Order: sequence, then C-alpha cells, then structure tokens
Amino acid sequence: MTDFAIGMWSFPILLLLIFLRMPIGLAMFAVGFLGLSWVTGGTTVVLSKLKLETYSTFSSYSLSIVPMFLLMGHFATLGGMSQALFRAAEAFLGHRKGGLAMAAVGACAGFGSICGSSLATAATMSKVALPELKRNGYSGGFATATLAAGGTLGILIPPSVILVIYAILTEQNIAKLFMAAFVPGILAAAGYMITIMVYARLHPDAAGQRPPMPWSERLRALLDVWPVLLVFLAVVGGIYLGIFTPTEGAAVGAFGTGLIAIINGGLRGRAWLESFYSTARSTAMIFFIVLGAGFYNGFLALTQVPQELSVWVTSLGLSPWMVLVLILVLYLVMGCVMDSLSMILLTIPIFWPIISALDFGMDPEELAIWFGIIVLIVVEVGLITPPVGMNLFVINSMDRETPISHTYRAVMYFVASDILRVALLVIFPSISLFLLRIFH
Amino acid sequence: MAILGGLVLTVLVLLTVVSVTGRALNGVMHLGWVESLAGPLAQGLLDAGLGPITGDFELVEAGIAFTIFAFLPLAQISGSHATVDIFTSFLPISANRVLMALWEVLFAAALIVIAWRLYEGMQGKMRYNETTFLLQFPVWWAFAASFAAAVMAALVSSFTAAARVWEMLTGASVLPEFGEVDH
Amino acid sequence: QEVTLKMHYFLPPQAIVPKDVLDVWAKKVEAESEGRIKIQQFPAMQLGGRPPELADQVLDGVADIIWTLPGYTPGRFPSTEVFELPFIAAGPEATSKAFWEFTENNMMDTEFAGIKPLGLWVHGPGVIHSEDPLVSPDDLNGVKLRAPSRVTNMYFSRLGATAIGMPVPAVPEALSKGVIDATVLPWEVTTSLKIAELVDNHTQFPDETLYVATMFMGMNQGVYDDLPDDLKAVIDANSGLEFSGFAGEVMAKGDVIGHQMAVDAGNNIISLTPEQIAPWKAPAAEIEAEWIEEMNGRGLDGAAMVEEAKALIAKYDAM
Ligand code: NA
Ligand code: NA
Repeated sequence: MTDFAIGMWSFPILLLLIFLRMPIGLAMFAVGFLGLSWVTGGTTVVLSKLKLETYSTFSSYSLSIVPMFLLMGHFATLGGMSQALFRAAEAFLGHRKGGLAMAAVGACAGFGSICGSSLATAATMSKVALPELKRNGYSGGFATATLAAGGTLGILIPPSVILVIYAILTEQNIAKLFMAAFVPGILAAAGYMITIMVYARLHPDAAGQRPPMPWSERLRALLDVWPVLLVFLAVVGGIYLGIFTPTEGAAVGAFGTGLIAIINGGLRGRAWLESFYSTARSTAMIFFIVLGAGFYNGFLALTQVPQELSVWVTSLGLSPWMVLVLILVLYLVMGCVMDSLSMILLTIPIFWPIISALDFGMDPEELAIWFGIIVLIVVEVGLITPPVGMNLFVINSMDRETPISHTYRAVMYFVASDILRVALLVIFPSISLFLLRIFH
Repeated sequence: MAILGGLVLTVLVLLTVVSVTGRALNGVMHLGWVESLAGPLAQGLLDAGLGPITGDFELVEAGIAFTIFAFLPLAQISGSHATVDIFTSFLPISANRVLMALWEVLFAAALIVIAWRLYEGMQGKMRYNETTFLLQFPVWWAFAASFAAAVMAALVSSFTAAARVWEMLTGASVLPEFGEVDH
Repeated sequence: QEVTLKMHYFLPPQAIVPKDVLDVWAKKVEAESEGRIKIQQFPAMQLGGRPPELADQVLDGVADIIWTLPGYTPGRFPSTEVFELPFIAAGPEATSKAFWEFTENNMMDTEFAGIKPLGLWVHGPGVIHSEDPLVSPDDLNGVKLRAPSRVTNMYFSRLGATAIGMPVPAVPEALSKGVIDATVLPWEVTTSLKIAELVDNHTQFPDETLYVATMFMGMNQGVYDDLPDDLKAVIDANSGLEFSGFAGEVMAKGDVIGHQMAVDAGNNIISLTPEQIAPWKAPAAEIEAEWIEEMNGRGLDGAAMVEEAKALIAKYDAM
C-alpha cells in the first residue's frame, strides 16, 4: 500500500474507533502512532518523536490560555456573576411574551463575554435560569432548548477557547480573531431573541409572562452587573488594545474573577476545590485531544494526504464558494455526532490548505479570519444538533423531568437561526471583517 | 495531584498578573511627566527592579506543562475524556463494558509509553545541557517535574484499567461513565 | 528513484531561506542525482513538534534533513555562540564561510555528532528597530527590547535595556501595542514582519556587525552513511564551504530589500559614526570576556575559540 493510501484509510478507521466509544484523543493518538510506525517501517521514529512532543505540546504558552479561561469561568460563577446577569436581564425583559427566555439568552451573552467555554456557560446559566423559567410557565422543551442555544454564546462571543485553538492551527492572531467574532456573536444573541419571539407566537402556551418591574428596581439590578462589565473590559479590551497578550488577559481575568468571588464570599473550601477539579478535568481532556490530533496530523502530513487533497480539490475546477458550502455542510453533518474541539483539530489541517489555495478575493489573513469565524459557528451548531449535542445533554442532565425529545423539537428553531446566520456571514464577509478593517 | 496542578496554575496566574503590572508601571515611570515630577522615586523604583518578571514566558511554559500532566490522573479516574456513545448506546451493556475496558487498557498503555519517552527526552536535555533563553535554568528540570506527574498519570490509569477489566468480568460498577465533562 | 529524503523546517515555503536556499539546494541535488534522490519538503513544522525540536528530529531520524537555529536550544551548541558575540562578525558571506571552517575544525564530532552539517551560515548584521531614536547606549535605559539570542540578551541587559522574551512571530503585535519598544533583527527578517510600518527608527552600525545569529542545515548522519557512494558525492558537491557562503550571500540580498522598505516608508535610518559606535563596543568586550569564562567552565577553551573565529572571519573577509 502507498503512504497516501495508508493515510486515506486512516479516516474510516479513526471514525470507526471513535464511534466505538474510544476516547477521541486516544483514538487519534493511537491511529497516528500506528500509522507513523507503518509508514516509517518501525517504531523507532514514532518513539523518538514522543520524547519531546508531549512536553512541547503541553508547554505551549498560547495554549496555557485554556485552563486560565476555564478557571475564570468557574470563578465568575462562584462570584455570583451569573445570577446578577440573569436578574438584570430579567428586570428589563421579563414582562414581555417570551421575555424570560430572552433574558436568559441575554444573560448567556453577558456570561459568554467573560467565559471561554460553551458547556460552562450552558451549565452555569441553566442553574440560575431554568428554575425561573419553569416557575413562570415555560414548557420544559422550550426552556431547555433556549439554554442549550444560549450556551453556545459562551464560545461565539469572545473570549473563546475554540478560536484560540483555530488561531494556533492556522497561525493567526488571536486578538484579531476575537475582534472578528464580536459582531457575529452579538448577531447570534439577537437571532436567538428573534427566534424566541417567533416561537412564543407560534406556541403561545409554551411561554409565560410576568408583571413588569418598576424602573428603580431595574436600575438596581443593572448596577449588580458592574463586575462582569469590569472583567470583560479589562480582559477582552486589554487583549484588543494589545495591553497584554491573550494569555496574560486570561490570567488577569482569572485573577479578577477570583478576587471578586473572594470578596463576595463565594470562594470557600469546597467550591474552590470544585472549580479546580472541574478545570483540571476539562483541561486534561482538551490537551489530550490536542496531543492526539498533533500526532495524527503529523502522520497525515507525512503521507501527503492534505497536500494531495488540496491539489485534487483545486483541480476539480469547482467554484470556491461551492467548495466552501460543501465543507460547511460536512461540518454540520459531523456536528450531529462529534464535539466541536475534536472536529476543529481533526479537520482544519486538511480543510485550511484547501480553502487558502482558492480565490475568494481576500488577502490570506482576512480569508483565514473569515473562514475561522464561519467554522466556529458551524461547529458550535453541532453542540445543539440532535442526536449528539453536548449542550443538550448537559441541560437534559439538569432537568430530568423534560424528555430530551421535547428539547430536540424546540431546539430546531434555534438551529434554523444558526444556519441563517452562517449564510449571512458567508454572503457578507464584511460582517466579520469590518471591525478589523476600521482598526487597521 | 490535581490540587498540586491547580496550585501551580494559580501561581502562574499570579506571576503573569504581577509581570503585566510590573511592565505597565515600568512604562508609567518612564513617562516624561512622571520622571520630572517624581524623578528620584521613579528612578529608585526602576533600579529596584520594577518591571516585568524576567523570563515570565519560560516559567509559564514550564509550569503549564507540569499542570497538564498533573491534571491527567483526575481525568483518568473520573472518566473525563470526550467520547461519542451515540452508536454504542444501541449495543448491550456487556458489549459496552468490553469496549470501555479495552479502551482504558489502551489508555494506560499510551500513558506508560508517554511517561517512558518523556524520561528519555529528559535524559537528552540533561546530556545536551540545554537551558532556557532568559533565566537559563536547565530545561531538564521542567521535564523532570512533568515526568513525575506523568508517572502518576500512568499509575492511576493502570489502576482504572484494572478496575474496568474487573467491571467487565464481574458486572460490578466501580468507576463513573466516560465523557461527562464540559469544555 | 532510489532515496526520498524528508526535509523539515519551521518557516513557510515562501520565506527567503526556504525559497532561495533550501529549495535551490533540493532542486540541484535532485537534478544532479538524475532523479535518484527526491527531496520531500515539509515546511512550517508540518511533521509536528515545535522549532526547538528540529535538532533532535534530525538526530533521531524523525526528519532526514532540517534547517534550524542553534540558538533555539541554548546550551546545546555552545561553540556556535562565538559567532553571535557582539561586534565579532563581518559580512554574512565571509562570516558564513568562517563558521563552516570553524565547525569543521572543532564541532563535527562533538556538538554536531550524529548530524552531518550541509550548510552553516549566519544572517546579515543586526539592526535595532525602535519607537524612539537610539544613538547612544544610554538611550536604551529602560527600553523594553526583544533580543534574539542568549548572548544578545546578555549584551542588551548589560546596556540597561529590559529584556523581553518572545518568539519572532509575536514581535509585530508586541511592537505595535507597546508591549516592547524595540527589537533587534537583520533587515531581511523585517520584510515579512512589516517592521518598517511599525516603528520609525532604525539604528545601524556601518562597517561593523552588531551581532548575527547562526543557523544550520543538517542531515541525519546514518541516512547519509547509508547512501551509495555516487549519491554521497552529489550531496557533498552541493554542501560545505561554498554552499554556506552562497546562503550567506542570499541573506545579504534579503537585507537590501528590507532596508529599502524602511527607506520607502520614510523612516529615520540612523547610521552611527565610528565615534558613536565606540561606546557600544566597550560593554561588548565585557560580554566576550564573560562568555570565555563560561566556556572555560564547560571545559572548552573559550579564548582560543574567540581567537580562531576572529582569524577565520578576517581571512574570508579579505578574500
Ligand atoms: Na466567550
Ligand atoms: Na450535535
């Protein structure tokens, strides 16, 4: 068998192993290990590679941002920021039809601006908002679907762990990617709110209503969110303005939210430990996937698969837009069964050379950033598409009385809003790029 | 182990914050009007080493590697690695137990190989006297710390593998399911 | 076709060294072997790992040929640092040839054991690129500066600059946002990083070389030894002293382009006079003495190395 054939065969084998419930990072590591051994005619090369590659993968300065952002999200929860956000959003929106759900989305957007992870945002906001929604007469399916979708704002609105990984894979500037993600993230929140209005109109009995709050109370609730604003301005503002590197920003954010949590008395013994344990579990999982993907991608490069696929796709003479749409559809399909991080790590080394060889009438940096934002959104849609959507599972596990099929049905409205937004961003690249163009 | 990793992570956060603050203040002290207003004080602070922490970058790199290795044992024992179980959920429980035992054994094997190779890598760094750039401490120190944590990960993973095999053989439930974690 | 050699390096294929040195070498070897050698290039660390791993990758056979900088692994190739000492080097072509001969005399069986050097060269004279004009070393006081190597870090810290460590790709961002105030780089590297758009001042040292960085292209010794004699001859004919000098020349040509970009940007290019250079040289002598001490501590003859390097540079500079 030629090296190229071995490389091509590794795809179905990898997918088979993953579908047989093999941990994804381990599957990529194992296939990479065996593939390299086969192609190089023995284990000498692959064992030599391993001498330094684990350490160099784990000692990455840019990736150290990941545990820091995760820690920041946990501290923010302990500091009461999620409750404050929801109360403030509720004070302004709660009296409308579907208003509480809109408030939940607004609070998710706020929390997303200081948290780099979708599942953390979904879990945190569900704890706060789910009981409120159900007490006010929202149907279980609608409430859980809203929070699952709202949770994706954790990644769509910067800071975002997935964008950090994408930036490293494609050697792009993290700060610029964060800036480009900002408007699409706001657009996502707006789209979800419109979706809620539509849903509430179509299913009037699925959403309750609550008497409006006096303005004095609204303003008081708004005052409580100042720590969120402060942390967001310090972290994302500092990164945008280049006062510090993204990693330094994450450290400042973890420090700031930690301090606020201590002041608010949320950071005591057990809770403190829990936030470390949770950070530890997620971090170890993420880095093992990064390690496995690095190993697998090194093997693929050696078999020339990405290089030859890129040449082949270019030779087909398809229009660049056609290729882009095909790739996006593939992401949506994969997203039904896979998690976003693995998808990015697995596919970007193959798809990015293909995209960058095509002519979209943009310079390479703008192309990389625009493609990154679109990919970010399509992989995040995977978090809420049935049957495997991590956000759906997380919220389902917090609300045992709502059958997941009800969540599945309601969440399709939000998926539709996502797909509409992807189309907009594909057709109008300047939605993602205009902020960057203004600042440069 | 995870607590130790968490402590190191906390130290890295603090170190970075101090370094950023030092760098910012260093810049402030060099501003024209500060120098003219508080010349001796500004100069004194600068002479006392007010500025970014030298080699903060290298310390974060060395520290974060240890942190990740130190987080691995907890991830193993709590079954935190991401999996896709939509297709296997149609299989009988016994088949799932066989698969989980198999993957856990493979995971242990991988972590043992990783720890062993890390040891070899450390030996190379010792042999070639490699140091870091600014602080010039031997690179093998950082490898040694990571190696210690990697050995723990390999041990814990061997234990969980044994537990999964035991579950497979006896049908008992010892460890949590795979893939119940966020990111 | 008999042999396929995997060539691994950290820059993208369009950069000057990959395009005008590595690829030129690969094409020539392929042609002169009449197609029996095929060089498969893997730019941008495609085979995995990070740049500091390249030296180990070629030693272990993960790649067959690599291009890297000894400075990425401080302490591992200590003798190469003699060419990185401030104010020791001459033009890149002469210094590269001197570096080759010096290595042949001193390092083949020690620091380069297991690696067969194919080319050893240095980049053009380092230039200081800064926000504010720098003329005297006193102007460096408190300036946050990114220096490229262990030795230059020692030197600029001695001059009173605050040394900040970061990888080269992070430099433009750091400069534009004031995380650093200055960086030292040869003109050639400033082209792709667009340094001329980010700073207003460039301080250069005419007829002198502030510093250079060494780099090497090397092959796995075992892979070379296993080649049939006629293919070894093809590799040998394209490697060594002449090839090193050629690579140095390419670096010098790259400098011209980078310099022109700064001129076109209307930047202030400060060319120091010999009197202005003198105060920069005094601390350089201290660094040299310290370096000699350090090498003696490692059981190497530091003074002899400095003397030999200087003599070789003078010899090739005069040719
Ligand atoms: Na976010
Ligand atoms: Na999905």
